[in-house]
Amino acid sequence: MQRATAPYFLILPSFVLAAAIILWPLKEIVSLSLHDVNRFGMLRDFVGLEHFRVLFADPDFIAATWRTLIWTVCVVLGTLIVSVPIALILNEDFYGRGIARILIMLPWAISLSMTAVVWRWALNGESGMLNSALRDLGLINSNIQWLAEASTAFPMQILIGILVSMPFTVTIFLGGLSSVPDDLYEAAATEGAGRWDQFRLITLPLLRPFINIAFVLNTIYVFNSFPIIWVTTQGGPANSTHILVTYLYELGFRLGRLGDAAAVSLIMFVILLVFTLIYVRLAMREEKA
Amino acid sequence: MTFKQKLCLLAGASLVAFSSSAFADSTVRVTIAEYSKGTGPYFQEAAKAFEAANPDVKVQIEVVPWDSLQQKLTTDISAGANADLSIIGTRWLLDYVSEGIVAPLDEHIKPEFKARFIDTFLTPSVMNGKVYGLPIAASARAMYYNKDIFAKAGISTPPATWADFKTDAEKIKKLGGETYGFGLQGKEIETDVYFYYGMWSNGGEIVKDGKSGLDSKAAIETAKLYKSFIDEGLTQPGVTSYSREDVQNLFKQGKVATVITAPFLSGQIKTEAPKLNYGVAPIPAGPNGDKGTYGVTDSIVLFENSKNKEAAWKFLDFIFTAEQRTKFDKIEGFLPVNAEEAKDPYFADNADLKVFTSLLPNARFAPVIPGWEDIAKTTSNAVQKIYLGQGEAEATLKDAAAKINATLK
Repeated sequence: MQRATAPYFLILPSFVLAAAIILWPLKEIVSLSLHDVNRFGMLRDFVGLEHFRVLFADPDFIAATWRTLIWTVCVVLGTLIVSVPIALILNEDFYGRGIARILIMLPWAISLSMTAVVWRWALNGESGMLNSALRDLGLINSNIQWLAEASTAFPMQILIGILVSMPFTVTIFLGGLSSVPDDLYEAAATEGAGRWDQFRLITLPLLRPFINIAFVLNTIYVFNSFPIIWVTTQGGPANSTHILVTYLYELGFRLGRLGDAAAVSLIMFVILLVFTLIYVRLAMREEKA
Repeated sequence: MTFKQKLCLLAGASLVAFSSSAFADSTVRVTIAEYSKGTGPYFQEAAKAFEAANPDVKVQIEVVPWDSLQQKLTTDISAGANADLSIIGTRWLLDYVSEGIVAPLDEHIKPEFKARFIDTFLTPSVMNGKVYGLPIAASARAMYYNKDIFAKAGISTPPATWADFKTDAEKIKKLGGETYGFGLQGKEIETDVYFYYGMWSNGGEIVKDGKSGLDSKAAIETAKLYKSFIDEGLTQPGVTSYSREDVQNLFKQGKVATVITAPFLSGQIKTEAPKLNYGVAPIPAGPNGDKGTYGVTDSIVLFENSKNKEAAWKFLDFIFTAEQRTKFDKIEGFLPVNAEEAKDPYFADNADLKVFTSLLPNARFAPVIPGWEDIAKTTSNAVQKIYLGQGEAEATLKDAAAKINATLK
């Protein structure tokens, strides 16, 4: 008896803390999403699933959901693909490695909103740095209006997303690489394995857990990432670059539709929850195997 | 008693003394929107001057960036942690009044106080016959034009009508280079307002008889007119990537020959582009001589749940004296709301401001309707689609009007 209750007793404090900061807001959000709410958060009549019905009938919401998916997949995969070679290079011993590492990490030291503001200026059509650089290089003859249309704005936002997710990911990979013992490579070299084989058969499998953790954490961060899109386009023009989190902010704090906004945040919560559950299942199955 | 204990006691006593000085008298908390970097210092100074005259009242100023004001108020109010007084956009006032969040000021307003104001600016915050806010900031819109570019293109006067304006813009285009006649805003807040300028000139209204005016002939013609400016290269390229600030910057850089905006641009030009040779003119008129400008006021409101209504009113009374108003409006470049203040030579002899004040009789304020922000957003989305060529003018505006009519019901 003693033995059975002790663990529960021991986790009670952290459980209470977690409940206070997770479950209580969740309960509030659920109740907001099921009531008619005025713009100051005062509850009115119970309306059931009306807010959800409104959302699913809203083409902008559906579009934002798909765009969130594209955004997350592109930024997360793009980051992983770019970060692995960068981590490999930074793991080599070369002259100026310290400076190279600092340069890669630097975007991390600047607040995301600041980075986004700088990019907003850089992408300005008439006086932006990117256009003037491209013109000086002779790559374009007339200015590109990067943020005027989703077809140019959204890919640029994804690139910025990759750029700012890279430092964190490279750091994780560098940690992973330093745990790979050198003698494995020496042994492989003796057996006649080339550099590609060494990467494919030694580095990548040993880096696997680190790639997994970078994948999960980045997915959660990027899915919820607000500043890049809000600062550069505010989801516009004509709602064409909204992802769920910017759409939620606009509904809640610009248009005062707190009920609809609460419903969006619940939907986002469920999407992330499902993703996490699937991931945990996969990770556990792997551990058992 | 050891030295340490004595020290603790002393510290405790001073803490009590400190807190009593902070809470024994009434403290008035005021939420202020930051219009410029001069806003915070002005209000701190005003609070100090007020406290010197009223030693029993403390004034605590909270400065919030304009962009996050609405979010702060929403969260503060829902938590019951709002200040006693706050600046709000007058266009939000209806929601505040219908939820019973702000208190009417009529019992405090003496005829003498009311007489201080220029009537045009007090009326937008009157609802159901009661005054719910005082105009802390007022502005209107006019067309700034670059005299040098106009002269180079052989144009001597600013355009009187939209037809003239188009001919002028064509002449400016012929100059070659990357200078554009019409600085057109197509991004973020007030994208809809930039569209209304033309719509009002064409005789349209935002809301008429409880229905959206976006599907009117005036609106459709305006959309086609603006689109023709865009298609013929008479505006800066990529209008949907230019917010109001961005277009103003293009104007300061001499890249667009005109921009329609508020009085505060004069002040910005003075410090940022002092060599710019510009003039201010009314927004061009339509074919039938219709004219319009957008009048905007921000209001300072008293919250219903304030426990210091008397002290808060005293502070309001203080900041709406001609002396304080003159100081504030000079710092911010707003229009005078106070009749006596308007006589100050700074305002009375200012050529730019004279144009703005002369437009006030034709000024339209944001209509007092529920869901105004929603309607503005729908309109902005529709005009962005038209500017981008993703929707045909008539069909897009009719869709938007139908959506707005559903909100208005």
